[in-house]
This record gives sequence, structure tokens and C-alpha cells, in this order.
Amino acid sequence: MDVRKVKKLIELLEASEIAEIEISEGEESVRISRYSTAVSANTLAPNTPAPATSMPHLGTAEVPTTPPTETGKHTHEIKSPMVGTFYSGPTPGAKPFVEIGTEVMIGDTLCIIEAMKMMNQIEADSSGRIVSILVENGAPVEFGQVLFMIEA
Amino acid sequence: MDGKRHSGEALAKQLGITRSAVWKHVSRLNQWGLKIDARRGSGYRLSRPIDPLNQKMILAELNRSVAQKVVSLEVLPELDSTNHHLLASPPPPSGSLSVCLAEFQRVGRGRRGRLWSAPFGSGLCLSAGWCFDEMPRDLAALPLAIGVIIRGVIHSMSGRWLSLKWPNDLVWDDRKLGGILVEASAECRGRCYVVIGIGVNVSLGSDWLKVVSDWPGGATDLCQMTEGNPPLRNALVCRMLEELVTLLSSYSSGGFKDYYAEFVSANYLQGREVAVLDGQHNFVGCVDAIDLDGALILQTETGSRRIISGDVSLRLA
Repeated sequence: MDVRKVKKLIELLEASEIAEIEISEGEESVRISRYSTAVSANTLAPNTPAPATSMPHLGTAEVPTTPPTETGKHTHEIKSPMVGTFYSGPTPGAKPFVEIGTEVMIGDTLCIIEAMKMMNQIEADSSGRIVSILVENGAPVEFGQVLFMIEA
Repeated sequence: MDGKRHSGEALAKQLGITRSAVWKHVSRLNQWGLKIDARRGSGYRLSRPIDPLNQKMILAELNRSVAQKVVSLEVLPELDSTNHHLLASPPPPSGSLSVCLAEFQRVGRGRRGRLWSAPFGSGLCLSAGWCFDEMPRDLAALPLAIGVIIRGVIHSMSGRWLSLKWPNDLVWDDRKLGGILVEASAECRGRCYVVIGIGVNVSLGSDWLKVVSDWPGGATDLCQMTEGNPPLRNALVCRMLEELVTLLSSYSSGGFKDYYAEFVSANYLQGREVAVLDGQHNFVGCVDAIDLDGALILQTETGSRRIISGDVSLRLA
């Protein structure tokens, strides 16, 4: 991963209220935490509120990814890269690519987004377990709409 | 291949096999939808001559700068689906094209897995794979842009005016001549592998034309369109590959706007009444325009409506 990208991520993190961020790109992944490893999100007790006092508060700052869940695990959002129709399986009536609880690997197909008869297979960009599917088969989706949550 | 009669003995000698092996191969060709007229005592004859695809000829005829970008070009006699074959193969490096052609496609894949097939050598089944480092802004309109260039190639080689039915069909004389199916696999950000499938009917013959199309007007082929003088398939492939490389090399920066005007001028549905089935809803309207991003704009009873996906069919008066 490019050092400049990492630097940008650090800046992004500092400008937000997020304690820790993990980004995977292909086989590489990087985790950036605002705190020393001794108090990283994983070692904090479940439900520990984020120590907001020491952070610059930006109010409307977007939370890009990986908010710690109640179990201390991280969920990752899969967003639609385009406007179109969401299909959960390869053909009508076929078994869906994934269901809640399915373990997925990076590169696994999660769904198809169709626009103008172009079939776009959306791949997982992080491994983990599907914890929620936010769109129904055949429903229209917008650019950037969250389709799945994956728990690492 | 030439439509002339050849004796089983001569064929056996030329191919270095026995006469009974020739007979077996001929039965195989019949399964591929090639009609072999076999007569006792006078040999075999193809009831319709074919012009086989030839990898060497295509590569030799390609414009040199384009040929350098074609990293692989497979010509296969028989395949389930050329798109499927490329989707299952490793993507080419970015900026290069991988190509797969088949003489006989057992299972052509239309939209949402609909099946079709064509007899051996009677159509053009071409798939091309390309990688974008980043998903192009106008990715969704890529099938429309591809339609524009394929229409252009056929128009310039046949002299016939074709139109484009939104989003992905080639139309001549109110009948379907071919179609385009683009499939992509993409991470939700970043790299994007597209496989472009192009299917054109070349010489299906009247029996097949009746059965292959779900269109009310039926299907047509290049033979019918040109009164028996279709462009040669190898030459068609060359021109299509050249246009594809040009389009794909500049699509990330240029986008759909470079193809918009031509799509609009060839828009088969302009001003027509259509029915739309988009998976969840059914509605009707009159085609008003094509939006700058490729969406179809309809006038409906409840006002103007943008269509991005779904099946659009003509409403017959």
C-alpha cells in the first residue's frame, strides 16, 4: 500500500471520531489506531463509550467504516458502486450468492447490480461473515447505498 | 466448407482418418446444427457454405497498434458461453484485451441467464475482456457505447442503416440482428474487470430465424439484410476489435458523452410506446429521450420517469 495513502488515512482518522480503522486492499491490509495497542478497540471492554473528550468534534464528520460493534468485532459495509437493480442470485429463482451467516472471502461474489442490462458482479473487498443484507432482491439501489454488512 | 460435394474417401484421405471416422465426425457436425447433405455414392456436402473464423487471419489483418493490445485471441469450435469462458479466465493486464470467439455456442447467455444458441458458424459470438484500474464513471452506459461502435462497424461494412434498441439490441427492419451483453466484476471500489459479449446473426437461415427471437417482428441476419452478401466474419471481427480497443482505451476519461449523439440518432425506441418491467413494477410510457448518462426517459401518465434497468418492450398498437 502506498505510504501517501496511509498518511491520508491517518489524517482522515484524526479528523473523525473513530478510534481505529482497518482497510484491506487485495492481500494487503492496514490497521490504524488512535491509541497505543494497550488500549486499542479490541482490548476495550465491550460497550466502552469512545473517549470523545480528547477528540476534535466535527459534528457532521462522516463515519467511513469499521465502527466497533457491541462484541468488539468490526463490521464492514459493502456499498453499491453504481445505480441499478439489485439481484441476490445469478438467475431468477436461483439460490442467492450469500445469506446472513455466510462466511465470505475477499473476491467472492455477493450480488449482481444490473444497469442498462450490464450485469455487475459485486465482490467482497474484505473477508468475514455476512451479518446483514440491507436490500431485497429486485430492488433499485443508489450509488453508495449500503448493501451488506460484513463482520470480520 | 465451400458448399461443394466431397466424397467420404477424399475427405478421409485429406484428414488422414478412416471413412467411418468421417461419418462419425459428420454426425457430430449435425449435432452442432450444421446440415450435412450426405448422399450414398456422391459424398458429403454442406447445405450452406460457411466462412470459418481464423485466428491467424484475424491477427494478421488487425491494425498493428491494436494487435499489440490483444494479449490473447482464442477461436474455439464449441463452448458453453464465450462470456463465461472469459469471466472464468484470469483478467488481462490493464490496457490489454483478451478475446474469445466460438463457432458454436451451446448455451448463449442473454440477460438474467436466458438461453439461446446458434448453429455452427452461423453467427458471430465474440467476447472481449478488459480491466479498468478504477471503475469508469460511466460504466453503466458501457453497453450503449459498445452498441454504437458495433452498429458503426456493421453499417460501414454492409451499407445498411441499423438502429439500436435501448439498451443493448441491434435492430434492422424492425427485427433483431444481434445483441450485446456486458458483464463486470468489481470490487465496491477500485479495479473492475469487464467482459463484453457481442452476438450477431450472420447466416442463421430462415428456419432458425423463426425460432431464435422473442421479438414480435422476429430475428434477422446479415445474410438477409444484405441479400445474400454478408460481410466476412473474420473481417467483421477485426473491425470490431479495433473499435473496441479504441473505445476501451479512452472510456475512463471520455465516457459515454463521445457516443451519446450517435446513440440518440440511432435510437429505435424514440417516440414509441413501450412497456417496462423493472423487476418490481410494470408501467407504460412513451420514449421521450436518452439522458446524458444513458438512462431512458419516458413520459408516463404520472410524469417523466428515468429508466436505468429492466426489460423494455414495444407496445403493439
